[in-house]
Amino acid sequence: MIVFQDLSFTYKGEKQPALQEVCLTVPDGGFLGVIGPAGAGKTTLARAISGMIPHHYSGDYYGSVTVNGLDTVETSLDEISQLVGMVFQDVDSQIISPMVEDEMLYGLENFGVPREEIPGRVEDALEKVGIADLRDRTIGSLSGGQRQKVAIASILALKPRILVLDEPTGELDPRSSRQVFSLLKELNEEQGITVILIEQKIMLLCEFARQLAVLNGGRVIFQGETREVLAHSDELQALGVNCPRVTTLSSILSEKTGEKQPACINLDEAEAMVRRLIP
Amino acid sequence: MKTNLFQYVPGNSVIHRMNPVTKILLTIVICVAAFLSGNLFYLAGLLVVDLLIGIIAGVAGKTWTIFKGLLKIAIFLFVLQILLVRNGTPVLWIITDEGLLTAARVVIRLVVVCMPLALVLAVTRVTDLTNSLVQVLHVPYQYAFTLSTAIRFVPQFLEEMAGIMEAQTARGVAFDKARGLKKFSMILPLCAPLLISSVRRTDQTAAAAEVRGFRLRTRTSGYKKYPFTAVDLGAVLFCALLLAGAILLK
Ligand SMILES: Nc1ncnc2c1ncn2[C@@H]1O[C@H](COP(=O)(O)OP(=O)(O)OP(=O)(O)O)[C@@H](O)[C@H]1O
Ligand SMILES: [Mg+2]
Repeated sequence: MIVFQDLSFTYKGEKQPALQEVCLTVPDGGFLGVIGPAGAGKTTLARAISGMIPHHYSGDYYGSVTVNGLDTVETSLDEISQLVGMVFQDVDSQIISPMVEDEMLYGLENFGVPREEIPGRVEDALEKVGIADLRDRTIGSLSGGQRQKVAIASILALKPRILVLDEPTGELDPRSSRQVFSLLKELNEEQGITVILIEQKIMLLCEFARQLAVLNGGRVIFQGETREVLAHSDELQALGVNCPRVTTLSSILSEKTGEKQPACINLDEAEAMVRRLIP
Repeated sequence: MKTNLFQYVPGNSVIHRMNPVTKILLTIVICVAAFLSGNLFYLAGLLVVDLLIGIIAGVAGKTWTIFKGLLKIAIFLFVLQILLVRNGTPVLWIITDEGLLTAARVVIRLVVVCMPLALVLAVTRVTDLTNSLVQVLHVPYQYAFTLSTAIRFVPQFLEEMAGIMEAQTARGVAFDKARGLKKFSMILPLCAPLLISSVRRTDQTAAAAEVRGFRLRTRTSGYKKYPFTAVDLGAVLFCALLLAGAILLK
């Protein structure tokens, strides 16, 4: 379980806080989607979970974050990072090694994963992300999307209990994005891995995330079950967070029919709603 | 492209299979030998050794490019030397025999020494280089990491630079028409923002290493091991031979 208690954080040298009084709970085995406009503090939130704040980025820190009962300020970064795996927004700065294979090995070697277990884990992770054929390539020879997949695979190989992904599909085409999301869903449902997914592709996010948190100006302005949060589609629109079109449709219909329609999050639900309203 | 001149070329040649530490030893021995001996024939022999290494490693094209690049600098230095050295008997105008000899020596040494330094990176994965430094030579991992990160960021930096120049060219800045100092003064202002973004990025890379157990890494963490084999023994003998030759043919 991840618990934010009134967390406020200002990066050293900055005047504006990047996060303000954030209260947030992600249950074990939860799948939380995080959205918000640029500069809202999404990446900062991810860094706070992975312990990089305050262990790597210093600044003014108030409140607390606990990950599986461990206070991230008191726990060493090494300990937190064996629990939380993070995929960075900027792939190029996440990738350390010049070769795909070495990148896959890096964390496994450092965390002391038994030798005989390593080849299996590497193959498995590459396979899952669908890049087994890239194993012997140099990072420099890969496309942006391929690099992104390498970054994801290198974290999956570590088998963390909690996965934090900061816009992991920014460089991916729609099909690959969906693949990555499905993979996350599978890990979440079958292995009970907690997923925190920051994403701009709201349509996909609403389809996969069970909870949503909306950030703006460093504050969490909405959080809850995906459907509940989407019911605020007007406010979200005002922030520049585009809602899925089906959700917009359900709110328009609520307005026109004068009775509250439940927010739709996929095509099937929208179709059912329309059929119900137009006999 | 200049950016991948130093990039690793996969292969399975004897040189590729050599222990990275042996490759470093060979590089150092060639450098030392080049300074021990002043014999022009011996130095020319070393040059042939350099070129042969490149050919055996299957990177003949790259070797040739590096050689040509060095040759340009070498010619410049050669001319400078023959004009500067005053001792010896004049051969032609102000050029002396002594000057010619010294110049030839300096120039061949330069090429002989620089070639293997450049080639090592073409035939060794940077990770293998740093891992073996840590495992075999007990170099502290922090230093090895710094070295590999620096090597990794150079091509990226150049790539970003090229990107910015392209964008500027599209806006009508004529980089291609400018030459020498003029071009330099046009590029310089672009370096500052690029450096700042690089620093932020390097900091993030440090964080990326930290959250994947950078501090937990020990000398024995590496999955790949770097044993010495018959190939390495052969290379060490060859090194001894080179050194003996350098001392005999002083
Ligand atoms: N390393 C840093 N040093 C100083 N300030 C930072 C740093 N990283 C982020 N900030 C600042 O913190 C605020 C929140 O940034 P953050 O990166 O968390 O936003 P974001 O929601 O991830 O935005 P985006 O959608 O653009 O990725 C911004 O004002 C930003 O300038
Ligand atoms: Mg961000």
